[in-house]
Amino acid sequence: MEQPHSILTGAEAVLNVQPNSSLSVTYDTLFGSSDNHMLLELHDEILPDLLHQSITLRGEPNEDVVLCTLSKTYAVKFVGTSNSVFLIPPSRHQFTQNGQQSVASVIEISPGNMELIETAPRLDRLKTLLAQNPYSSMEALQADDMEDDSKESKMGLCTWHDLVNKIQASDDELRNGLEALSAVEIDGFWRIVDEKYMGEILTMLLQNSILNDWSLDKLDEDEVVTSLVTDGFPHKLAYHCLHVYGSEVDEARGKSCVWTLDARRVCVHFARQVLGVGKMKLERFMEMWLKKIPDGMNANLEMLEGEVLTEKVGIEMWVRGFSVASLPSNPAERFSVLFRERPKWESKDLQHYIRDLKVPGLSSEGLLLKYTRRTQPTQDAEPVFTAR
Amino acid sequence: MQIEVKCSCGAENCPEWAIVELQGVVEVQPSHRDGIQNLEIGRLCRPSSDEKYTLTIGYHELSGTKVTLKKPLAVLKKVKRTDDGDQGDGSSSGKVELDVVGVIRHKILFKTRPKALISRKFSTNSHFLNHSSSSICSFIVCVDFFIDLNRRTS
Repeated sequence: MEQPHSILTGAEAVLNVQPNSSLSVTYDTLFGSSDNHMLLELHDEILPDLLHQSITLRGEPNEDVVLCTLSKTYAVKFVGTSNSVFLIPPSRHQFTQNGQQSVASVIEISPGNMELIETAPRLDRLKTLLAQNPYSSMEALQADDMEDDSKESKMGLCTWHDLVNKIQASDDELRNGLEALSAVEIDGFWRIVDEKYMGEILTMLLQNSILNDWSLDKLDEDEVVTSLVTDGFPHKLAYHCLHVYGSEVDEARGKSCVWTLDARRVCVHFARQVLGVGKMKLERFMEMWLKKIPDGMNANLEMLEGEVLTEKVGIEMWVRGFSVASLPSNPAERFSVLFRERPKWESKDLQHYIRDLKVPGLSSEGLLLKYTRRTQPTQDAEPVFTAR
Repeated sequence: MQIEVKCSCGAENCPEWAIVELQGVVEVQPSHRDGIQNLEIGRLCRPSSDEKYTLTIGYHELSGTKVTLKKPLAVLKKVKRTDDGDQGDGSSSGKVELDVVGVIRHKILFKTRPKALISRKFSTNSHFLNHSSSSICSFIVCVDFFIDLNRRTS
């Protein structure tokens, strides 16, 4: 019996049609009987993550789906076509079945394919989720008393796994989002700590520094944490306080880490505290604010850019709290809130309230162009931005 | 929720699929509508050593070329995995995953007006070609599209 010479079939046949030859294109035996295949456009940049099984689709069933690599998020757009796209898989059989005909069979007709568009991670939901159950001093007290961890108290709290399933962002972007919110993982749950509570811990830290004559730019981690634990704060939160208000100094030589308090973060904290009651005259604010600043730290108004707004009312300067961190991360919503707060903005103020907006493909100039109207009364005057 | 995209075929071994694309819709003659499986749609020919192709469907002949896709396409299939240690939950406790089963780098694209081959005799006149110019539409896809793939776009 003659060896059947290998005649190509399936996709290989289509892609390797020899000159002066032809093949039959048919409907596959299984045409129409299985779920549709999906076609996804592959960017070079997602290939490595795809091969390492690090690509996921994320979102709730009613949301627009996003595709996440380890570090980026892409909106998924389905592009349909009225063309007939015959999808031909590689052949299941090595040799053809009926004699020597070269056959390629079509498994389905694809309605279109999916395209990826890089997009900003959707992190506003993270803020809302975590803000529902901030970790407060009350909870810290109760934690000491509780021996068992009753499941009821864990309702509404999110583990990392929960967050990954609820938030449309890549793992890296989610981690950065948690960092930006000064969130902390307690007992496996990601929490935002109640601002007042953080304030209590910071105040205690500063008091202990004075009592023990510690230098605020050379704080010993072990000493600080131990003292705060002695004062009744959970170990995790004592450490978190250092993390929120300070930075590690690279001098640790196998011993306890050394931290330096960040002047800006500490000063912003106290400014927020002072303005918590509402707006006040600038003079009064400066008086109260400077009283709270630790010795040795210098405070100036520039530190509060993006945190407070000043306004001239009559002949007096007034100041009120307005933090960029409290604003939506979606550009359209952000500008809407900004223009509701103030119909006209000068660049020097506005820039601080859009500095954290990251839209792939749009620079901050591009953002301004897209969402604002720029007017310049005279050549010498400062340009002013208003809503479109 | 999360749907993982897996590549069970492994990096370099991803089988290559092909696409034959034409403008318009291929319609099957009423007599053949039940059981079109294994029915011939047409013949794909490469008349010379050029990368030029013809596709003959019914009495129409289309001319086309092999095109390299600017961005390759991954072919994904939905897979439902049941969790191990399933406590008899019964309902949709399976995890949905997407498996990359192939990649497409080239397609044979026919976008010329079909030539009517009226002088030739065709024994299996089982198809006729409804030619129209292509149009593109697009919309955002919802996550539940991936759960229920029985919905087709129209």
